[in-house]
Parts: sequence; structure tokens; C-alpha cells
Amino acid sequence: MTNITADQKKKMYQRKRVTDDVMRMIFKSSAILASSMIFIIILFILQKGLMPFLPNYKYGQVDIIQFLFGTTWRQDSAIYGLGFIVINTLVSAFGALLISLPFSILTALFIAKIAPKKLAIFMKTIVELLASIPSVVYGVFAAGYIVTMVKNLGSMLNISTAGGSSLMAVIILLAIMIFPTMTSITITAIGAVPSDLEDASLALGATVTQTNFKVVLQSAKSGIFAGVILGLGRAFGEATAVSMIAGNKLYGPTTNLFDITRTLTSTMLAGLKETIGLDYDIRYSVGIVLMATILISNLLVNYVKKHVGSR
Amino acid sequence: MKNIFEIKHLTLHYGNLLALKDVNLTIKEHSVTAFIGPSGCGKSTLLRCLNRMNDLIPECKIEGQIIIDEQDIQNDKISVVDLRTKVGMVFQKPNPFPMSIYENVAYGLRCQGIKDKKALDEAVETSLKKAALWNEVQDRLKENAYKLSGGQQQRLCIARAIAMEPEVILMDEPTSALDPIATAKIEELINDLKKEYTIIIVTHSMQQAARISDDTAFFLLGEVIEFNPTKQLFHVPQDKRTEDYITGRFG
Amino acid sequence: MMKKRLFKDKVLNGLTFFTSGISVLVLFAIFFFIFQKGYSTLSLDMLSNNYWSVNYNLAIPESSQSVYTYPSIESGESFSSKYGIAFKDDFSPDKKALIVVSYVDPASPFKLLTDLSAGPNQGQVIPIQLGMNIEKIVYTNTLGVDRSAGVIFKQNASELVNILDTQATKLLSTYTQTEGGGIKGSLIATLYLILISLAIAMPLGIFSAIYLTEYAAKNKTSAFIRSSIELLTGVPSIIYGLMGMVVLYPITTLFKVSGPSVLLGGLTLSIILLPTIIRTTEEALKVVPEHFRSASLSLGANYSQTIFKVVLPSAVPGILTGILLSVGRVIGESAALIYTMGTFVNDSPSVTRGGTSLAVQIWSIMSGEQPNFALASAISIIILGIVLFINISIKLLARRFAKTW
Repeated sequence: MTNITADQKKKMYQRKRVTDDVMRMIFKSSAILASSMIFIIILFILQKGLMPFLPNYKYGQVDIIQFLFGTTWRQDSAIYGLGFIVINTLVSAFGALLISLPFSILTALFIAKIAPKKLAIFMKTIVELLASIPSVVYGVFAAGYIVTMVKNLGSMLNISTAGGSSLMAVIILLAIMIFPTMTSITITAIGAVPSDLEDASLALGATVTQTNFKVVLQSAKSGIFAGVILGLGRAFGEATAVSMIAGNKLYGPTTNLFDITRTLTSTMLAGLKETIGLDYDIRYSVGIVLMATILISNLLVNYVKKHVGSR
Repeated sequence: MKNIFEIKHLTLHYGNLLALKDVNLTIKEHSVTAFIGPSGCGKSTLLRCLNRMNDLIPECKIEGQIIIDEQDIQNDKISVVDLRTKVGMVFQKPNPFPMSIYENVAYGLRCQGIKDKKALDEAVETSLKKAALWNEVQDRLKENAYKLSGGQQQRLCIARAIAMEPEVILMDEPTSALDPIATAKIEELINDLKKEYTIIIVTHSMQQAARISDDTAFFLLGEVIEFNPTKQLFHVPQDKRTEDYITGRFG
Repeated sequence: MMKKRLFKDKVLNGLTFFTSGISVLVLFAIFFFIFQKGYSTLSLDMLSNNYWSVNYNLAIPESSQSVYTYPSIESGESFSSKYGIAFKDDFSPDKKALIVVSYVDPASPFKLLTDLSAGPNQGQVIPIQLGMNIEKIVYTNTLGVDRSAGVIFKQNASELVNILDTQATKLLSTYTQTEGGGIKGSLIATLYLILISLAIAMPLGIFSAIYLTEYAAKNKTSAFIRSSIELLTGVPSIIYGLMGMVVLYPITTLFKVSGPSVLLGGLTLSIILLPTIIRTTEEALKVVPEHFRSASLSLGANYSQTIFKVVLPSAVPGILTGILLSVGRVIGESAALIYTMGTFVNDSPSVTRGGTSLAVQIWSIMSGEQPNFALASAISIIILGIVLFINISIKLLARRFAKTW
């Protein structure tokens, strides 16, 4: 150290400063780039998806009212009515939520409060495993097992099904798929409930179960709603598994559980192998509607959360 | 005056740690008894034995008897749930439930299965009045309890406990998280409450004990060093250790 | 009153046991179904084979020996002692009959088959593989007439061997078909995807995380940046697929790529991985004690040196976790890749061409007219196995490094 001249030292510090400034710029630009991705996504999909509705669209302008409110979707005849598909998507997602949410809450309560420690760890692993199964594998399971179940159920009730591909199969599949997400979040929310609230309840002569159901769940409400939002988002956006068992009905909406159905995502994937032109571009428009649906339902759930207050 | 609680040879271990050693106390009906002493010497632990809240701690072992209404509450045949309606508790930090004021007070009654709206309305009003909170909240019973100030929340917790019509109210440092004005209101309340209930209060403040209690027990390292009428304990302490504590030589 | 309350409590508690039990059942049903359907298809052959069967028209040379032996013949195999080759009956996934090569003697003429088809490969020796399907063999019979025998004449293995040994004086050529249904191409494509997406997402993500934890002040701007990144996790992956085709596709054209490609898939995936990598890296950086940084700075190091030499190395376990999670995500991703990489199984994938990952191959198999459950389930077993391994690794990583401080 003692052999370095003052001049050399000065140059060394300057270099260090410059490196720092350069690196800081690199780090900052990375962060800015990463944060701008969401806007790029929205912008470009909006642009491409709105194009078919503009007058100078090269494959022929599509009527936006027909698109948004139509009840028939036929690729071969270039009829693109999305309205019924939106209803189908809402029906299947909320149907799945209706089944899955009570299962989630009860199982989360079991894991977080009721089960002995070893059983709780076992159940947590089960939930994590369910969460890590990829969509396609769920699709294979659904196409092989759930669909057969629905078919058998249908024949028992003398209802004909398209080999089992049906709204019911979609709802069951989605319910299974969103269950682990909602359960994990609820477990965390329950764990965050301060123990002095439980103490207060027990000191008033409530049983442990009453405390769990009346106080703990109530206090975990905001976490549970966060799970609902995430679960709904997954139910809306699930593509590959759903498209394997939906059936892709050409018109609708479908409310009959045993009938085939079509969702926004299954529409975006249907016949992707051989499409060009309008049929390809219109999927972007469907994408916009998908994102809008997710956004609006998020706002809806937030609204419900604020107003489902104390009894 | 009748004895509400008779505590005989109570010894408590947390695992290997001895927390209470051979405690013998009798608590008189309609009195305010204060537990004083330095931190960690067993006051709150004993308090929590009286409504069996220590059951929640797995490594806790208790020997001895705690008798209320001629029954030893350590007996397994006793319903803990029933005991806790007889012996209520107010905690150090106010802990109202994330519900409306009304629902907080009605909570315990609902758990008992009482559903009749008129009965609940009456009980809520009576309890809030006894807790000196009714005038401040009667127009906003449906509001969330968290909107109340700290002192009001604590009085709400007291109302909540009173709604169960207990014989005894245990208070674990109920004013240590409150400002002086809120503290004064609660001390005034305790003075009123003792006409109907028996109150046992753990407090860190000797001045508070001297102000509001009829009898005082001085705890040191898990033992009751002295248990006497408050005036006597503070003016003519019988044990040197008591004298050292109240004159501020330690603690 | 008390009895009613106890009863209600028991019912509610019982319900929680019930729902938990159902979730266990569902998990086992899924694993059981996939395993049952796919287990028999799972084999080393499947891992190394091409997906598409290749048809060959091959010339058969003269036999060098007059007699061959096959001492370890198994039941079901029919061995031609004249030509040193054994056949077995088998079925394709779509239930078509096959005559499959099950053993070839090292001196058999079948070892020196040459390609007959016109083109650059003409005359090349094509090594016979076990599992190849013999569609037909053209031979000269005892009367000097050229005849054919094989599975397309509805014959089975033993009948074919009989004809070869008793009626054929000279073998001329054979139409064979390689065994398909392999996943070699998808395995390689998946590897490329992992490499490309991590190569982009890791530096971008780690640098962003460094900026957010080490440099950014706690103000509205940094909060905004954070929430913009968090928003990415709520976007369904099919939207990423759309985004990739519109936003990232022009980048691939710079590399002279047209159409869906592995490169485009990798680029798209890197965006999907970003929030995960940023989140796990941030958490890992936050845990590094402040005194590490102070010590480094007080020794005269500048900020960059401190970060790269002291902070980042301590954050390695967390970053590793992020990588493991990302690999799991890549393997499981399907919708985004269907758009950006295509659905056509490519047996010799390259970065500039389309192809399928393991997951997309499952989709491709299942969305045809005759879904091949056996192969789809077999690939699913592989995917589940890798995902399981990743989950266990993450847990072990967390446990090992939680002890450090």
C-alpha cells in the first residue's frame, strides 16, 4: 500500500466511482425494464386486439357489438360472437369457486388450527404437491378420469353427454386446480390472527371450535378474500387443461351441466394448429376480454370484501 | 363475608421451571384484590390459573387446589367452558374482536346458544351501562369496535366479560396500555363493579393497588410473601421484603 | 344447551377432517391415474427415441453364414435361423398390429442394410434398431418369383419367420418403420428453453432485485416499480403467449427466424420467470446482515464490489431457490409455449425452429383425434418426477441454509 503514489490512488478511486455509477445505472435500468413489462403487455395486446374492429382492417372489419354480445362462434364461417363465451367463462369460474372455497377454508383451518403437528405438516405437503402439478397433467387427468366420471354419471341419470366433456367436468377440474392456491393463502391468513383474540374468546367461555369458526376465520377474512381473487384469476386464465375437456360448443351460453361448453381460453387455443388471418388475430381481442374479465371480477370481489362486514 | 376463591398449596411448573410455590390465598366476595410484585414472579401466572387459561400451555403442570363454590376447578370433571363464564378475564392489551361493538358484547352469549334478539339487546345495553360505556356508544352499536379509542376498547372488553354475568372478574394489568385519563376512568369503574362482582387485579403500579384494592398480595419469585388488607400492607408491612419492594428498593 | 353446542362443534370439526381427506384422495387419484396409464410406456427407449416414425426402404445384402443361433430366445419371439433375426408381435398405441424386431445376430445381413431411396442418403448403411416395425420384406421364393411378406399382409411374427426360413432363397429389400413415440426431441427442446430463459431472466431479475433492495429509496417510485412487477404474476400464461408473438417476435426475426421458435419461447418464458426471480432474490438479499455491507465498505470497497463479492454470495441459497422454482415453471408451462413455439413435435430441435417442450408435447398428443393417453401419462410421470425433485431440493436448500445465521 505504501508504494502507491497519491496520483495512482486518485485514479483508483475515480475508477471505483465510475464503476459504481455504471453498475448503478445497469441495476436501475434492469428494474425499470422489468417494471415496464406489464405495460408493454397490455399496450401491445390492446393494439393488436382492437385492430379487427377498425375500418381499415385487412381481413374485413368485424362488428364490435356482434363480437361482444354474439351467441355464436364459428371459425369456418367467420362468425365471432363472444358474448356467450364470457357468460360460460363466468359460470365455470364462479362455479368452481363455489365448490372450492368451502373446501379451502375448512382444510386450511384443519391444517392451521385443528390437526396435530405431524398431520398438519403432512397435509401441507399434500397441498403443496397439488399446487405444483402443471396444467397439462391436470388436463390429462381430467380428460381420462373426470370426463369418464361425468359420462358414467350422465348415463346413470339417462342424460347423454359428449363422452363426458362438459361444463361439469370443467367446473370440477377448475375447483381442484384453484384449491391449493386458496388453501395456502388461507393458512397464512389464519396463522396471522393474533393469539390474544383467541385468548379473549376462550376467556369468555367459548369452545375451541367456536373460537376457530367465529373469531379466527372472521379475523382472517381479508386474507381469505385475497385467496379468492387469486383463485378466480387462475380459474379464468386456465387454458390448456380446460381446452382438453370443454368440448368447444359453437353457440350458447351453456348452463346445462352435462352439455359441452366453451371458455375464453379454450377459444383462444382451439384450432391453433392451422389458423391464419382474422381467425388468428381475433384471439387477441379475446385476450383483451379475458384480461378485462379478470380485472372486473377483482374489483367486484374487493367491493364485496368491504361490505361483508361484521354481522 | 363469604370466600369466593380458596387457593390451597398451589404449585406450578412450566416444564422444569418452578413458577408458583405453595401459594395459599383466600379471596373475599365483593372485594378488589391486587397482586403486586416485580416482573415475572408469578402474578399473571396465578391469575391465569383461576380461569384455567394455563391449560393452553402444554408443558404446564399444576398441583394443589383452587376451590370456587365448593368445587376444585382443577378437577377434570369440571367444564372449563362453564368455569370461564363464571370467572371472566380482561387482558393487558385491549383485544376486541374485529366485529361491531354490539357483536363484541353479545359474543359470549351467542356462544352459549342464546339467539333471542330481545334478550341479546337487553344484555348488551345492561353490560355497556355497567361498564360505563353505554352513553358513548349507544348510537353506534353497529360500528366496528376498532374505531373506539384504547380506553373505550378496554371498557368494551370489560362489558363483554360482564355480559356473561360472572362472579369474578380477573384483570391482568388492564390499564398498563392506557393513558392516565383512561386509566382513571377504569379505576373508577372497578370501584363500582366490586358491588356486584369480585375483582382480582394484577398490577405493576403500587399506587394503583393502593388506590383501588381492599386486599393486596405481594409476590416474589413465585411465592406469596405477604397477603393482607391493603392499608395494612402498605403502611405496616410485616415482611422486610415487602417493605423493600414498596419503598422502591428493587423492582 | 351444552349438548347441542358440543354436537355442533363435533360436526364442524368433522367437516374439516372430511375436506382434508378429500384433498388427499384427489391427489392420490391423480397420481394413481397418471401412473397406471403411463407406467408401461415409460422406458429408456421412449426417452431416446424420436416421436415421428421414419419410413425406410432398405436393401438386404447376402447372408454371410448359412445358420444362426439365438440361445437366449424368449417366449413370444420367433427366430429365423437362416438370417439371424428375431421378431415379436406388438401393437401400436392406436391398436395397429406390428411385427417388431426383437433381436439381431451381430453377423446377420440385417446389420448391413442400405438405404434404397433416391437422394443424398442412397447407399448409406442404416443400422437396424430393435423395435423397428417390419412392414414388408421382398424376397425371391423357391420358384424364382419375387414375393412379399410382412405385417401389411396381415401376417404375424412366426408366420413371417416361417416364410423366410422355408420359402425365401434370397432376401431383396425391406420396408421398415422406426419406432416412434419418443420424447428425445422434446427433452432437448425443454433443455434449450431452460437455458435461454434463465440466461435472460437471471441477470435481468437479479440486477432488478439488487436495485430494489440496495439502491432504491423507500419512495413512491420504488413502490410503483415493485407493484408493476408483482402485477406480472396475475397475468395468465396464455396472455404471455399472445404477448410473445406480438412483442418479442420481431426480436427473433433479427436472428433470421420466421414463425414460432424455441428462441421465441425462451424469450417469452424469461418474462414469465422475472417476478419469481426478483422476489426470491430480494428476499435473499434482505436477509444478508447489514454489518456485512458495512464491513466491506469500511475496508474501502465500493458499492459494486460489496454487492458482488459480499452480498450476492451470501444470497446464493435464495437465488438457487429462485432458479429451481423457475426450472419447475418452465417444465410445467404450456399455454404460452403453444403460441410461441408451436405444437409440432420436432425430433431434432434447434433454437431457430419450432418444437415442443415436454408439456406441449402432451398437449399436442392429447388434442389430436385420437389422444394417446399412454404416452401422455408417461411424459406426465417424468414431469411430475422432476417437479417433485425440485420441490424436495428447495426444501432441503431452505433447511440447510437456515442454519447459517
